[in-house]
Amino acid sequence: MSDYILELKDVVKTFGGVRALNGVHFQLKKGEIHALMGENGAGKSTFIKVIIGVHQPDSGTMLLEGERVTFRNTADSAKEGIAAIYQHVTSFPDLTVTENIFMGQEIKNKFGFYDWGAMRKRAKELIEPLSKEIDVNKPMGTLSVAAQQLVEIAKALSRDARILIMDEPTASLTRNECLQLYRIAKDLRDKGVSIIFITHRFEDMYELASRVTVFRDSTYVGTWDVDGITNQALVKAMVGRELTAMYPEKTAKIGDVILEVNDISKEGYFKNVSFNVRRGEILALTGLVGAGRTEVCQNIYGIMTPDTGSIRLEGKEVHIKSPIDALKLGIGLLPENRQTEGLVNELPIYQNVSSATMNQFVKGGQLDVNAEMENAIQLCKKIQLKANDITAPPSSLSGGNQQKVVVAKMLSSEQKVLIMDEPTKGIDVGAKYSIYEIMNELACRGYAIIMVSSEMPEVLGVADRIVVMKGGRVTAEFDDVKSTTQEMILEASLKERRETA
Amino acid sequence: MPGSNYDRDLTVKEGFVLSKFLVKWEMILVYILVFINVILAVFRHDLYFQSGTIQSIINAGLDVSPLVLGMVFILLLGDIDVSVAAQMILGGMVTGLMMDAGIPWIIAVICGILICMVCGAFNGFCVAFLKMPAVITTISTSMLYRGIVEIVLGENSLKNFPKWYNKIGWSNIGPIPLSMILFLIMGLIFCFILHRTTFGRKVYIVGNNPTCATYSGISVTRVKMEVFILMGFMAGIGSIFFIGRMGGGVSSSMGTGYEMTAIACAVLGGVSTNGGKGKMYGPIIATFIMAFLTYTLGLLGVDPNSKKIFTGVILIITILISTVNKQMIKDFKLRTRYHNNKNIEALNDRTAEQIKELKQQLKAGKGDAASVNAKIAALKKECAEKSAQLWEEQKADAQKAKERYAK
Amino acid sequence: MKKVLSSRNTGLILVLVILLILAKILTPGLFSTYMIINTLQNNAIYALLAVGEFVIILTGGIDISIASQLAFVGIITTKLSCDNPGVPGIVFFLLAIVLGALCGALNGFLVGYLHMVPMICTLGTMYIFRGLAFVVSGGEWWFAAKYVQSYRWWAIGKIAGIPMLIWWTVIIMIVIGLFLGYTAPGRRIYAIGTSRESSAVAGIKEPTVTFYAYIICGVLAGLAGMLNTANYAIGYYGMAEGFEMTAIAICVLGGTAITGGKGRMDGVAIGVIIMAVINSFISMIPGMSVWQKALQGAIIIVAVAINYFTERSAAKRALKERGALI
Repeated sequence: MSDYILELKDVVKTFGGVRALNGVHFQLKKGEIHALMGENGAGKSTFIKVIIGVHQPDSGTMLLEGERVTFRNTADSAKEGIAAIYQHVTSFPDLTVTENIFMGQEIKNKFGFYDWGAMRKRAKELIEPLSKEIDVNKPMGTLSVAAQQLVEIAKALSRDARILIMDEPTASLTRNECLQLYRIAKDLRDKGVSIIFITHRFEDMYELASRVTVFRDSTYVGTWDVDGITNQALVKAMVGRELTAMYPEKTAKIGDVILEVNDISKEGYFKNVSFNVRRGEILALTGLVGAGRTEVCQNIYGIMTPDTGSIRLEGKEVHIKSPIDALKLGIGLLPENRQTEGLVNELPIYQNVSSATMNQFVKGGQLDVNAEMENAIQLCKKIQLKANDITAPPSSLSGGNQQKVVVAKMLSSEQKVLIMDEPTKGIDVGAKYSIYEIMNELACRGYAIIMVSSEMPEVLGVADRIVVMKGGRVTAEFDDVKSTTQEMILEASLKERRETA
Repeated sequence: MPGSNYDRDLTVKEGFVLSKFLVKWEMILVYILVFINVILAVFRHDLYFQSGTIQSIINAGLDVSPLVLGMVFILLLGDIDVSVAAQMILGGMVTGLMMDAGIPWIIAVICGILICMVCGAFNGFCVAFLKMPAVITTISTSMLYRGIVEIVLGENSLKNFPKWYNKIGWSNIGPIPLSMILFLIMGLIFCFILHRTTFGRKVYIVGNNPTCATYSGISVTRVKMEVFILMGFMAGIGSIFFIGRMGGGVSSSMGTGYEMTAIACAVLGGVSTNGGKGKMYGPIIATFIMAFLTYTLGLLGVDPNSKKIFTGVILIITILISTVNKQMIKDFKLRTRYHNNKNIEALNDRTAEQIKELKQQLKAGKGDAASVNAKIAALKKECAEKSAQLWEEQKADAQKAKERYAK
Repeated sequence: MKKVLSSRNTGLILVLVILLILAKILTPGLFSTYMIINTLQNNAIYALLAVGEFVIILTGGIDISIASQLAFVGIITTKLSCDNPGVPGIVFFLLAIVLGALCGALNGFLVGYLHMVPMICTLGTMYIFRGLAFVVSGGEWWFAAKYVQSYRWWAIGKIAGIPMLIWWTVIIMIVIGLFLGYTAPGRRIYAIGTSRESSAVAGIKEPTVTFYAYIICGVLAGLAGMLNTANYAIGYYGMAEGFEMTAIAICVLGGTAITGGKGRMDGVAIGVIIMAVINSFISMIPGMSVWQKALQGAIIIVAVAINYFTERSAAKRALKERGALI
């Protein structure tokens, strides 16, 4: 009998030429909480999908209690008592909480019909210890993200899981909810359940885990006892290089305030958010996923309009009702999700680059395609795009190059303020560096840049000033980046809101 | 790859390649058109070479053509409009009623087209602003528009239309049918709009990725509105073609199924119903194919009702051809050849890639043929052996699982 | 109480009550047993089709070929029964089920396994089935004189004073209602309609579920075909044209979300009754029959628009609740 309940060796998984997992190892002891850490795009999510059978590894073996297993689908892993709680909740929003919990393992009466009464009762029993406020008869879609997360936990519990995988469960929870989750996780551990706990937050790890494994850029870095590794060593393992060398020298001169956001609120997303940004300055807007940063940017850019508060551009109050207004005023946005928001994957690169600025190329009532291509080539050369030619579709490019196309699209028109939402998410180190260089150059040209980022080293390395958000509110602002540490930001992004009487 | 990363040549290197041009979907449509003509010419040469046959085939098939042109734009958005035939009849009714009332024909015709544009605008409003699914919207507005015609006309029909209507449906200029000349002129204009203007580009962007369009400062609602109104305009033009072809009469039950023919032509022309994919040229050729096909079936003694079967089959087959893509072939292979085992699939894919690389090297003149071929054979053999082994393992695993969960 | 008031069905019942009061004022004698049974019998075919369409809409698809399927199956059973008067009706009843299942299987295969867009696919099969109906019938029309009584009994025969057609409709609504609400395959239909992505993660085989959903719809359309001819003793290839729209209208009226995953059988039942009342209205008032199409079209648009607005307000409410946490 093996010491480990679950063991993975040399697991490789590729998606269309991109290595999502490159020979990773993992060992889970019986009854332990094992933290799995790494930056965004390190391959953690793919890894759990391999464990539960959504993806099959290209090569490598998986041992369950020392025995080789192959999971062809999630049903196979469920039979083995493996359950997962995903980062992006994968629920059925139109179905009730009860049904979501029992999807795939319903309680039936002797005629083969669902026993809704019994299921509701059992669902209540499962949910009650977690939260008293969740009504099991409500559709899942009406619950908050945190409540949905709790339902997912209840679902895992209902399956008597031996191995429980939690993918960043604390990302969108409040402090109290986190504490509750810790308690639940510890209870489960004491009952003999082994837990893989994927997280960004050191706090989670220190609170819960006995051992920690780190992935970086799709590869395995190492496994340590939580007591046996220092914070710095762990950060280094995750980031993989000294922070200073990764970021280009800042040369821009910071001018006067160009964009002022005063006390804007949007119901359900954020409240009383204020900050400003100056010419030539890179302002980082950071915090945990779900803190409302993206929504703030979308409100500045006109995807949504704030309920209250005002936005002033160069001292004048502006009303931005749509991205068209924003672009006219000189505010650009690099969206967070390049696949769905930034690119038209099927159209050639040059058409993507000019999609926001095609009116420039109209000559005699028609589009001057040659001028359009010429312009796109100039821009793409500047950002060192690696592509066959300018008519290739973005879907043929790697993630980093796709992001460069979106950047080129932003550069195709003159802006004053540039909002970049997670500009380096899921792209490789080299591409990251060139994006930082572009940001720097733009800042030198007098652009004001608002960068949304969850990666603290990046925030510290690139920004001139840092604004931290938590739960839809600004919790801290750091003017002096040099004396700011990761811990300070972390603290601010976890800070409980002071109850205002 | 030669050259440094810093100065990459991004210009379009590949010029016109004949072999690629010849297998384009548009060219395949041309072949089909030619094929049908050859069949006709061979088997019914008596009819085919009679003067006026081809003209009458084209005249008979082109009354739907304005609808096709508009429908391409609608489908490119990823929407659909099944109310076009109803719009067409409603517009025709308005023109007819005004003519009956003694209003000058020019005003009557313009009002007919305007009413169609209003219908289109209403569809557009429901789809773009209320975010209603286009299918449901246009199914119900189709009932609504046709219902209005029923209410107004009942069992009656209108007969009073401008004389030149009939000319469009029935006359030729020299050897060329008038309807064909008009259709080709409109087709050219539509090609220009779709492929040469910002509006056309916006339609493609919205059709492919509406979210990205919004972020790029394109108003999705506006583009949708404009396209639906354009469709209405074309339905108005269509009413002129249709009534002309019908010999200058309109009643509430006429023109049923024209929307389906228009959609079928557009889809046959290579326009994807998922939006964003397709060009203007294909549907123009497809309209002619449809005209010749209908006529050919007629010659073969197939009555108009059974022709529906062919239309349906053609529609389904053309869409299937466009949807059978790499992913589906891959899935199919996975299911049949690789026993649903993704490990085997990955192994085979990797081997195929390695072999391809080796072959490319050989082509480039690196290495000698014999040793490379030996390598390829070895790779193939290894792959086959390993696949078999994986398959055995999978079977063993499945057996084990079965035993374990026997209860 | 608040819940009852805000529920969509309550609103529908309210509309129904108003309609009934109006009807009572306009046409006395409406509530006689005879009239009620008559109205239900005349709308039972719509109900059958609506239930089939309901199943499809729940998966997030749409089937506009059901009326053609009805005609196709109806013609075959009619023709066979008229040609072989000695064969008992049950044979044709079962035949209708089998043929309907085959029609549904074709749609289900194309949509489920070959991933065709439901609208376009059923558009194609709509043509095909209608054309086949013509081919089978050879353009012939069948009238009451030709029909065999044992065949007609399956629709107009009475048990406990109620025509068989109504019995069938009620039984099918209950059976399908139970199936959708209380069995695993039924719930899977809801699941794939509400989120395909989550279904995949939960190990639900979407193609298979889609396939049998279309088969159910086909069976109901096939049954409707046999019962329609038996009920009215008239059969020709063009029958029931446009019925698919009525079926969709009933579903949408009953609160079924056209995007899939949301809707209840009791809603469909109420939708059927409202549609029946409207139809009988139209038939009772002289000169109204030409209004039928326009009215139905307008009803669907209004119903979808109402669905849209209720959904939007629900989303707003959810945001407000979330806002309270911030």
